Amino acid sequence: MKHTFLLFIMVCIMKCTIAQDLWSLAEQTGPEQKDFTTATFKNTRLINMHTVEVLGKRTLDFRISHRFGTVNSGIDNLFGLDGGASIRLGLEYSYDGRLMAGFGRTSYQKMLDGFLKYKLVRQTQDWHVPVSITLFSSAFYNMQKGITINNEPLYSKKQYRLSYAHQILIASKLNSHFSLQVAPWLLHYNIVNNTADNNTAYGAAMIARVKFTKRQAITFEYGYRMKKTIEKGYHDSFGIGYEIETGGHVFQIHVTNSFGIVENQFLTLTNDSWSNGGVRIGFNISRVFTL
Amino acid sequence: MKKFALLISLTTLIFQSQAQVFIAKKCQIDFFSAAPLEDIKAINKYTTPLLNTLTGAIVFKVKISSFEFESALMQEHFNENYMESEKFPYSLFDGKIIGDIDYKKDGTYQVTANGKLTLHGVTKEVTVPGVITVKGNEIMINAKTPLTIKEYDIKVPSLYVKNIAETVDVTIDATLIPYIKKD
Repeated sequence: MKHTFLLFIMVCIMKCTIAQDLWSLAEQTGPEQKDFTTATFKNTRLINMHTVEVLGKRTLDFRISHRFGTVNSGIDNLFGLDGGASIRLGLEYSYDGRLMAGFGRTSYQKMLDGFLKYKLVRQTQDWHVPVSITLFSSAFYNMQKGITINNEPLYSKKQYRLSYAHQILIASKLNSHFSLQVAPWLLHYNIVNNTADNNTAYGAAMIARVKFTKRQAITFEYGYRMKKTIEKGYHDSFGIGYEIETGGHVFQIHVTNSFGIVENQFLTLTNDSWSNGGVRIGFNISRVFTL
Repeated sequence: MKKFALLISLTTLIFQSQAQVFIAKKCQIDFFSAAPLEDIKAINKYTTPLLNTLTGAIVFKVKISSFEFESALMQEHFNENYMESEKFPYSLFDGKIIGDIDYKKDGTYQVTANGKLTLHGVTKEVTVPGVITVKGNEIMINAKTPLTIKEYDIKVPSLYVKNIAETVDVTIDATLIPYIKKD
């Protein structure tokens, strides 16, 4: 009798443990799967600068980037909206969601660009990997005709038209509202206008995004030049923007002192400054398609 | 001798109780939204539901970020804008299967599962009809249930009401085998 009672108790205890154990078992048995941080930035660009993001799998991105004239051109020029505009049309694609390629053409300096971008390290949600790292390499081909310096044609050889930019983009999504990126950059021009100018320039860029609703954010970017191409008369690029996402579109409206849209223009050769109102209104539109 | 008999019966019980827990060998959870402008589909293959055949207890722990969409952007929006998967990484179902099932006999049984479903941080009592098929050592679970997303505090901006259905269908297709503890 005593034993039967003991047995009964044992069975009861065991039953209870089993019911509770389903959850602890669920904790242990789930397949191992790393959680990568998503959407450190909303787009592959912030204002002018590249973000750590690459396009998703089998995604094609058609981009329109537009910069108006300077705000200090006054009311006659409707603060730059009337003219002096620069536009870049671009087509970019990623097959696997890690490597992307793109090309575009910027009206300013008739600049053709092509680039590769590879997401090397992905930040994880558990902070085991605290940052995402993306490598960026780009080449530019200046298609302007009849450029002369001291009556000598500047582009006497085809390779003189080429320049290159490389960046290591390191970003962290610190929380769901704030993302920060630091990106050392290196630029090389095959030819520069004057012998005193440097063919190779380098520096570091910093960008940040403050997301204030699920679909809207305020963005900042700053490009610091450590070694300059031309010592005097140029400025660091600085921009403030607002971005809104609507389904497959991302709209970015911003104010920046850079007229150029690609790296070999805005990182090194920004000739307007914020201090005299030489800033421009601009916008980027990104439309993605899944192919 | 009596003690020995007790030991034997206890040992048998322990073995029995282990065989009562079934774990998914494979499980697929589909999500389908049919709206005027577009259909949205997603698949989650990374869930391992557990079933206790003795008590009928069944648990699901579904990782939201494991849903795979055809479009990478849709997946991002699903996680970022709607499910907020960084804040609510898992959806849980803690329920009990109601119905006459003989897990020792092959056959198909119409059942319902009653329990608590937690989604997007909101917990609701739900009843899900389903089919359980017993075949040898395996238990197959098939269930389909509509979920009204508003009930789980998931907001769809008026701009996208034609893109995202108010009620989405969730389909579960799982095959369970006896759980053997690994040391």
